[in-house]
Amino acid sequence: MAQLNVSDVTLSFGGLKALSNVNMEIEPGLITSIIGPNGAGKTSMLNCISGFYHPTQGEIYYKDKKLTHSSPHQVSSMGIARAFQNLELFSGLSVLDNLLLARHQNLNYSFLHAVFFFGKASRVEAENRGYVESIIDFMELEPYRNSLVGNLSYGVQKKVEVARALTLAPDILLLDEPMAGMNQEEKEDIVRFILDIQKERYITVVLVEHDLGVVMDISDRIYVLDFGQLIGSGTPEEVASNPKVIEAYIGEE
Amino acid sequence: MSANKWLATGNFFTTYKQEQRTFLTNLDQSIFTFFLVVLFSWPLLFHLSNKSMLVIDNILIAIVAVMGLNLVTGFAGLISIGHAAFVGIGAYTVASFCRTMGDSHIIVTHFWPLLIIISGFMGALFGAIVGLPALRLKHLYLAIATLSFQMIFQWVINFMSFFNQGQTIFVGRVFWVTGKVGRKDHYLFWYFVILTTVVLLGFGIRNLMKTRYGRSLIAVRDNDRAADAMGMNPGLTKVYAFALSGFFAGVAGALHAYLYRGVGFESFTLHESISYLAMAIVGGLGTLNGSFWGPVAINFLDLKVGSLAEVVGQYMPSGMNLATALKPFTFGLVIVLFLMFEPRGIANWWRITKSYTKMWPFRY
Repeated sequence: MAQLNVSDVTLSFGGLKALSNVNMEIEPGLITSIIGPNGAGKTSMLNCISGFYHPTQGEIYYKDKKLTHSSPHQVSSMGIARAFQNLELFSGLSVLDNLLLARHQNLNYSFLHAVFFFGKASRVEAENRGYVESIIDFMELEPYRNSLVGNLSYGVQKKVEVARALTLAPDILLLDEPMAGMNQEEKEDIVRFILDIQKERYITVVLVEHDLGVVMDISDRIYVLDFGQLIGSGTPEEVASNPKVIEAYIGEE
Repeated sequence: MSANKWLATGNFFTTYKQEQRTFLTNLDQSIFTFFLVVLFSWPLLFHLSNKSMLVIDNILIAIVAVMGLNLVTGFAGLISIGHAAFVGIGAYTVASFCRTMGDSHIIVTHFWPLLIIISGFMGALFGAIVGLPALRLKHLYLAIATLSFQMIFQWVINFMSFFNQGQTIFVGRVFWVTGKVGRKDHYLFWYFVILTTVVLLGFGIRNLMKTRYGRSLIAVRDNDRAADAMGMNPGLTKVYAFALSGFFAGVAGALHAYLYRGVGFESFTLHESISYLAMAIVGGLGTLNGSFWGPVAINFLDLKVGSLAEVVGQYMPSGMNLATALKPFTFGLVIVLFLMFEPRGIANWWRITKSYTKMWPFRY
């Protein structure tokens, strides 16, 4: 059974249908990409999954749990993490603090422990710091550990954004255009990280991306949206030869 | 192990536990301890008049209140214009004990530490209730909600006969292990109590900011959308921030009630709320040491301008009206100047001084 099941999801804002009757099945351990022209509803789809929007119709299931009406913090505590398209980092804090913040749900010590900072709080925080360090290590962010996120370059901030989502220790990682606005070298870098995330950490990746070259290279499955409708799905080869997809991207002959 | 624990140079961390130290070096820790010893011992060596002692006690109470305000406005980014009302909740908790049991009941006079803590929790309770709109409202709209609480508080106190219509409700003299605290030692005694409270609460905040309970405050301030995606419930976090600040305010209120040995509504008006906000801004929002600088600066300014007005009044009686107007004028001017030229407050000067002395005599 699919890890994440999107069945018949419709999302409308007044008269505008951002998504209509979209079905998706996201298989565990694979890289699934969602592509489509601008305004096709890709980010809306991610917003529905991560709980920022609630579908007007249809249901979203994660394993057996229904998360159609869950709020973002509930979704993330179930094990679905998300990196944002426009950087939504805590810009006044250091990279380290940004990552520590993401561990909120994984730390369980009481308020009293926190105020006096003895025993459990201190121990858990030390372990937590160790875990965050492993993510910093994984994402190769060591040089920036203590620098303010707001002062870092765009490419590094994008990396921090992915790292922060990863710090939640998710089962599914939703990446919203992690390569937007990057040069070729930075893109290759991120692609390497995405593949590492899948292979080494066994995390299912859902990728929304405009760079078709990247998507065709690394995806196991692709869903194509156009004007909120699912116009094609399958392996990269199937999608590339799908006449509807070609029409949406290149236009009719 | 780290090579040298006394200086920042060569002081390396080898475990993550070491990184949690409150003081980076032993030198910092010794200086701080020395400072505390001085704070606790100087009143025994130099005897100050009751009047001056009252001013100092007042500043310390303001520090407790501003620490609370800094949590909600500085760290969690929620403007609260009703902070004096929360302080009032604490004071009126003590007052209501006095009204129902008599102002010299054993609970009021002997179990005052308990009563101070209860007042804190009452403040927290009301803080949480007032914070509830934060589940729906943001920014200035939320500020208006806190303002309305301030108004409701004043109105309720003024019209309830239980609270003596806002007129003074007396609080009895307390007992310490040495017996009843008399008129002579009253202000000195409370100096020690309030100072201890400030130190304890200060360390509490310091510890809290190292844990998830403190980080979640900063997260909702910087980006509550992202905080939501990171597994924090932004609405609840904001309510919790208000409750936390209410606790500090409640404690400050109870201390105020005991210090003045009476509770009257004029100490908890909108003007006081604005003053607390000004102290927090001048001190430095979102910093712990800002909560100490702000009350000291604003209170001294008030004092100096007050005495200046007196001098002016003596020599130029015709200018008396102008001189009394000087107080609110300078108050407003200082806030405006700080907002324009140093929005990060005195705490920023402290930070600059610290980093400068750390490197001295080298420039970089």
